[in-house]
Amino acid sequence: MRWRIFWRALAPPKKRNNMMLRKTALAACVLIALSGPNMRAQNLPRTADGQPDLQGIWSNATITPLERPADLAGKPTFTPEEAAAYEKQVAERSNVDHRSANAEADVASAYNQFWYDRGTKAVGTRRTSLIVDPPDGRIPALTPDAQKRVQDTRAWMQEHATDGPEGRSLGERCILWATAGPPMMPGPYNNNFQILQSHDRVVILNEMIHNARIIPLDGSPHVASNIRQWMGDSRGHWDGNTLVVDTTNFSDEYSFRGSDRNLHLTERFTRTSPDTLLYQFTVDDPTAFTKPWTAQIAVTRTKGPIFEYACHEGNYAMTDILAGARAAEKKAAK
Amino acid sequence: MRSYLAMAIAAAGLLVSAAPVWAHHAFAAEFDSSKPIKLEGTVTKMEWINPHAWIHIDVKNPDGTVTSWMVEGGSPNTLLRNGFTKASLPPGTEIVVDGYQSKDESNKMNGRDITFPDGRKLFVGSAGQGSPPPDGKSDK
Repeated sequence: MRWRIFWRALAPPKKRNNMMLRKTALAACVLIALSGPNMRAQNLPRTADGQPDLQGIWSNATITPLERPADLAGKPTFTPEEAAAYEKQVAERSNVDHRSANAEADVASAYNQFWYDRGTKAVGTRRTSLIVDPPDGRIPALTPDAQKRVQDTRAWMQEHATDGPEGRSLGERCILWATAGPPMMPGPYNNNFQILQSHDRVVILNEMIHNARIIPLDGSPHVASNIRQWMGDSRGHWDGNTLVVDTTNFSDEYSFRGSDRNLHLTERFTRTSPDTLLYQFTVDDPTAFTKPWTAQIAVTRTKGPIFEYACHEGNYAMTDILAGARAAEKKAAK
Repeated sequence: MRSYLAMAIAAAGLLVSAAPVWAHHAFAAEFDSSKPIKLEGTVTKMEWINPHAWIHIDVKNPDGTVTSWMVEGGSPNTLLRNGFTKASLPPGTEIVVDGYQSKDESNKMNGRDITFPDGRKLFVGSAGQGSPPPDGKSDK
């Protein structure tokens, strides 16, 4: 009814007989206006309570590196042909199952390629690095203080590597994994996560180390600043069709590429088609990095299930590593 | 001066974000590059456990006695996605393992290369293709 009144006011009195034609033209204009990104977004799945539906099992496996390799400097994206050639080259290189001439390197390479599951594709955006900002695709320099912290801890680590489990990495201790996040990065295997939604919570279950992150969407504030957690404290909200998750309160014991306790991580999840999700994260930590940086991963829907990764159930390696060091000490004492 | 534990924790935190490592843990810290070893044995069981699967074999010694060995592999999740199942390596299978012994000199080694006695590779194929695409059914 309102439309009719509005239209009558616009239409010159003499041309009321053209009303139907004008109505049709206006409807066409509205349709054209809506057929852009908004219309496409409206066609994407929604939950029963109207939220964009991000639920499902997703894979972030990709061969695209976080940082742009030096030989691709100045080249932010591949052409489709270049992307195909890159995928072929990486597949050929990684599928060569050779023994290293140097025994030390050979031990480090552990086992053959059959055990890896990192995918075969470059990211769908055809970017040459997951980092999209800064434009050079590289992690910005650490601040002088952060450089010193990193050097000191590395030196300490080398000195005390086999004193006890505390000297081993969080991954070896099955506490956290470098790619499990937040932020979630592709790794050698288990590159899968599941998203579940309710009206005021989002749960992200990551296959690697089977972490489940429960993210409130209810507008509640972060926990008090003296409460520090391995995976930080995540709070989410919707920005149009994008889920935005802010994570702070990271533990002093956690560091992502040199970050410290002041890390403020912002993740953005946008469903771009029924089978794709654009995942973007921004690392903002002024005491660790000289400027913020952002990475983007085109994630694809995958067939489940997610497997359990009970990391410590067979972690014989921890005792082997420490027992090996004790055996060496005994031998040296003789 | 930071305490030992604080330094340990900070250092461990740092390493969670170190350059990508391909295995769950540092094989160079667990196995000894100066102890290459090649064994022929019979599979007694395979442990499908995380973070890495372990294959148990019995090796016959020249004097007729038997020594049991454990051989470390990779993530069982990847094996399953690559089509390797529980039935792929039943007890009684003869295999040849070529790797390095653990630094503590226990009967453990990494399975750098595992073959059948006729030379065929046990874990055949290239790196995984990533998880399969959806089949159209709901996966929620």
